[in-house]
Amino acid sequence: MLSTDPLYLAFFITGLTVGFGHCIGMCGPIVVSLSLNSKESHLVFRHLLYNAGRVITYGILGGLAGTLGSFTILASSILSLQKGVLIFAGTLILLMGLAMGGWLPFGNFLGSGGSSSVFSKWFQRFSAAKSSVCFLLLGLLLGLLPCGPVYTALIASARAGMNAQTTPEAWVSGMGLMLAFGIGTVAPLLLVGKLAGLGLMKSRPLIYKISSVLMVLVGVYFIIQGIRY
Amino acid sequence: MLKSCTIKGRCLGFLLLICLFCGMMTGDPWKAIAGGPSSENSVNCDMQQGPCTKHLGDIILTLDILPKPVMAMKDLTFTLTVSGKNLSSEPFIDLGMPGMDMGPNRVELRRVKDTVYEGQGVIVRCPSGRKTWKATVTLPQTGKVEFVFDVIY
Repeated sequence: MLSTDPLYLAFFITGLTVGFGHCIGMCGPIVVSLSLNSKESHLVFRHLLYNAGRVITYGILGGLAGTLGSFTILASSILSLQKGVLIFAGTLILLMGLAMGGWLPFGNFLGSGGSSSVFSKWFQRFSAAKSSVCFLLLGLLLGLLPCGPVYTALIASARAGMNAQTTPEAWVSGMGLMLAFGIGTVAPLLLVGKLAGLGLMKSRPLIYKISSVLMVLVGVYFIIQGIRY
Repeated sequence: MLKSCTIKGRCLGFLLLICLFCGMMTGDPWKAIAGGPSSENSVNCDMQQGPCTKHLGDIILTLDILPKPVMAMKDLTFTLTVSGKNLSSEPFIDLGMPGMDMGPNRVELRRVKDTVYEGQGVIVRCPSGRKTWKATVTLPQTGKVEFVFDVIY
């Protein structure tokens, strides 16, 4: 396993570089949506939890790819799940956009609702009690989102597993590579989350409204992509 | 509206969301800002129909990918035939998408006959729906040739 150590650094750097390009483009809208629907004081902690969940999922996928020694077997096994997660993410962003724009009766999805409807009470309970934990769960789930660079890193994990002598070593090699890759992607997405949550969009009703429309469009785009995937 | 956007970038987050929105549609926010893919990244071979041939000076390189049709997320065999030069070290192929960083995906080739090299690889699927891929063939100490082709999802 020691012979693969430089690979961990290589995949951390890959995660970092891909994070500033591809991940910001594909996953950025999710992160921005989460920022827009969170209080500023909780923002960094919640994004750390979200990213931790995402990286844990990557690690588990890496371990599986390493143990199987095949990327295509893993990919075909989780295809339906990924399709569902893509549609779920789109629905989530769509709902957050609609709620943020005031087009739903229960206020901000992860923030404070204003109405006394059943929806409002449910969402208020959701946001007040365990919303931070929800970010971890959300990260765990959205770590399954279909993503080209994640697939590429999983191919490397499968290859690392094939070169391992034992099954545990294959698991550790695959997981280690994906963890290194995932940790590399954290900084860019944290940066985007922080920038989006500076209170800028929240301070101007018109900008906030336009942002809501963009989120709705992004949500619809994700749902369509999920159906077609 | 712009006047009201003061220091600390009141509009920064808003612009960020717009860039991300455009970036998501193209797969890369920076390309979305800079412009679309260049002509050098346009499809230059039909890998679904058969092998593609390119020239690197006097060297003729023929790349084939099997099985057909060439599909993403499947185990593929890459066969490279090099005519016009004896290679001192084995060539390799880097798979990527034009204008989009998909991470390092290298296919190591092994010599199977005098001028024929073969390796296994996977072309991954991009959720953006783009299907154009680029196989950059590198002949060590000699040069590189790009095969740009469409795959089937």
